[in-house]
Amino acid sequence: MLPKHAVQVIRHIWNEQGKSISMSEDARNMATVGQIIDIQWKLGMAVSSDSCRSLKYPYVTMTLKVAEPSGQIKNKSFEMTIPQFQDFFRHFKEMAAVLETV
Amino acid sequence: MAAEQPQPEGAKPLSGLLSGIAQAAYHGHAGITEELLRGQLYPEAAPHEFRALLTKMSGVLKSVASADMDLNQLEAFLTAQTKKQGGITADQAAVIAKFWKNHRTKIRESLINQSRWDNTVKNMNWRVDLKSQSRHIDQINTPVAIVEMELGKNGQESEFLCLEFDEAKVTQMLKKLSEIEESITALTQTT
Repeated sequence: MLPKHAVQVIRHIWNEQGKSISMSEDARNMATVGQIIDIQWKLGMAVSSDSCRSLKYPYVTMTLKVAEPSGQIKNKSFEMTIPQFQDFFRHFKEMAAVLETV
Repeated sequence: MAAEQPQPEGAKPLSGLLSGIAQAAYHGHAGITEELLRGQLYPEAAPHEFRALLTKMSGVLKSVASADMDLNQLEAFLTAQTKKQGGITADQAAVIAKFWKNHRTKIRESLINQSRWDNTVKNMNWRVDLKSQSRHIDQINTPVAIVEMELGKNGQESEFLCLEFDEAKVTQMLKKLSEIEESITALTQTT
């Protein structure tokens, strides 16, 4: 059995902080969610490769500077074809729309 | 190769052979051996004869795919091959032309994928949460988007990146994405 004052402290903290934990689908997710610090991008054109002399396709590369909850800063980069980029863009437009209405 | 001609005899095995070559070279299909192809498609052929055919057809298909030939280039190229010593027959040229027309897009896609060695976005999910802020003011609820991106490289296990975006961050991202879109438009207008 916990001492009474400990229970009171726990209850007080839970009232204050509990919502943000219980509203997330998975409390564990909170610990691994990173924050974006910086966004960089590059538009490139693949010209040729050893298996194809005539590649000729444009692609987008993005680098996200992410602050992890541990405090560590990491760069995450990835490449997208133009259709993939358009999908990516669409997701964020939808996100913005939802954030606005909430 | 203006009009579609009825396929001559021997078209089917050659078509099958080209499919087999493409599967092995471009679509990552392991286990398509010379023996398998000969047995399935040219069972009557002597092994050394079949090997010569396979080598020749592989060479032609790879040249066509490597240059991503359009119809004009294809016609010129195949015609030249029919005139060469030890080249291809007119019938074979017709089969190859038909094959390329039907499979060009898919082969090109495979070639593009084969040349992507960095992380690509394999999947993306997101949801919007209401986040309670502050230990002092209870009822301030800030909507945040939680985004999960699956990043992966060819043949490697994916990494899952989980990020939080408040409205300001989403706006920042949208601004960058608009810049990219402008660049793409500028690029496609000049090429």
